[in-house]
Amino acid sequence: MTRPCRAGAVVCDPMPVVPRAASGRRAAVRTAGAALAAAALLLAAPVAAARAQSLLDRVRQAANVARTLLPISTAKEIEIGRGIAATIAGRFPVSTDAALTRYVNLVGLTVASQAPRPDITYRFAVLETPIVNAYAAPGGYIFITRGSLAMIQSEAELAGVLAHEVGHVNRRHVIEGIRKSDTMREVRNTVDIEGATLDRVVGTGADALFTGLSRGDELEADSLGLEYAAAAGYDPGGLAAFVGRLDQHAGEGPVSEFFATHPKPDERVERLVAIAQREGLSGGVTLEDRYRAIVK
Amino acid sequence: MSRAAAAARLLGALALAAAALPVRAAAQKAQWTDVVYVPGTWAGGRIVPRADSLALVMRVDYFSAPPQWRAEMRRTTDGQTLGAPEILVGTGTQALVMTQLGTTPLEQHALGRDPLVRALVVFDQSGRRKGPAAGRITDRGADGAVTRIVYRRAVRNPDFDVKLLDPGNRAGGRTLLASGISAVGDQRSASVVATAGARGVDRVKTPGGDVPVRPDTAAIVRMEHFAVGSVALEAFMRAGGLGPYAATGDSTGRHP
Repeated sequence: MTRPCRAGAVVCDPMPVVPRAASGRRAAVRTAGAALAAAALLLAAPVAAARAQSLLDRVRQAANVARTLLPISTAKEIEIGRGIAATIAGRFPVSTDAALTRYVNLVGLTVASQAPRPDITYRFAVLETPIVNAYAAPGGYIFITRGSLAMIQSEAELAGVLAHEVGHVNRRHVIEGIRKSDTMREVRNTVDIEGATLDRVVGTGADALFTGLSRGDELEADSLGLEYAAAAGYDPGGLAAFVGRLDQHAGEGPVSEFFATHPKPDERVERLVAIAQREGLSGGVTLEDRYRAIVK
Repeated sequence: MSRAAAAARLLGALALAAAALPVRAAAQKAQWTDVVYVPGTWAGGRIVPRADSLALVMRVDYFSAPPQWRAEMRRTTDGQTLGAPEILVGTGTQALVMTQLGTTPLEQHALGRDPLVRALVVFDQSGRRKGPAAGRITDRGADGAVTRIVYRRAVRNPDFDVKLLDPGNRAGGRTLLASGISAVGDQRSASVVATAGARGVDRVKTPGGDVPVRPDTAAIVRMEHFAVGSVALEAFMRAGGLGPYAATGDSTGRHP
């Protein structure tokens, strides 16, 4: 027989063996114990149910958090981005003006060369619509509209706008939005993003692009755009000049979508100017003549 | 302190440490590009010396996380297109040439006899970059004549996988080669161009309400095939005085 437990005992028995002579008393104690346990269970049932519900809620919350942590690989990001890009091209036709497309690509690649994502191939295209806007699909598919080009007055402004879009791609803003969306509720593994699920994910991403990303995402893309354009050698005031000009056209049809999907222009301009001053960004080229020679 | 509180504190400390690790690693990384010119012009596959113009000879993309580094060199033989990369990986001043079969010390490889290649291994004993972070770097001969001009531009906040600097990481090497380092058309990998398109999206939300769309995958294929090469990009930047081409001051004596 092991010793009853006591402080310092190395080997002990937490329930000392009861002598045989006490077996009748033991049975009575057992019965009383069972009755007490049953009563306790009955009394505790609502509490237990509430605890179980709470635990279930926590498990659900953890599952939601885990879902937002599901990594989406670059290859999958490109696949989703390609679908979103096709959807954008389905809403507005892509320009076939080779000289203009080449120019926009050259300006875009110049600022993208400052961006730290070696796993992305950036591609730029012009959308034939008078609407003033630009779109960045995941995976590096970036679009600017004819309406925006008509409003832009220099290569530095174009660089600022494209750099802002590159910022969206680099920070995976659309992909992060998709990851947190209800669309991902059914996805246990990103390999599952195929077929109809891929279509729903693409639809969610396209909706986000057309209705506007979060204010935080836009302001972050502003900061990055300013940084990339300035680092590439452009006048860092390009993006602010363009956004400020849009403010003068508030209420006009082609810019209404831009106003509906972006933070207030005056606030953005003020913030961009403050960042440039704080970071000591100045100088750079504007290249109005080169812009006018190609964008007519 | 209760066990639960102690466990929570321990978990918090571990989370903080885990969060700090990538920041430290990212802070050590450096990535930059050297575009190398010599005085002259390309004619018939050869450089004709001229004092009033520059001929592009090579572009080098550097990735560094001291003491390890990687350099991908692409030469041109016509001034119009860049060839396949020759890859060096190293630790400190020790350089290895990556080949299809493995690695060979630079001294034992044909590249080791190329003075241009040797000049572009710009790392000190600790694997840190020698010379300026960005700008124009002019090398001169003993007679003071310009022999080479390097335009260097750095990537801010580089974000590459440090495993790619490991000479033993053959798969990593292929991955980087396939990735299209600077997002320029002639470095694009067809393998990353996915075949899926948007098949089921027929309406999208806009601020003005839902609108019908018919996804145009053919337009995206055209977009993917529209490539501007890195040589054209360099010429564009040079013509606009952009990036390192805006530099007015020289850095000299880069190569001891």
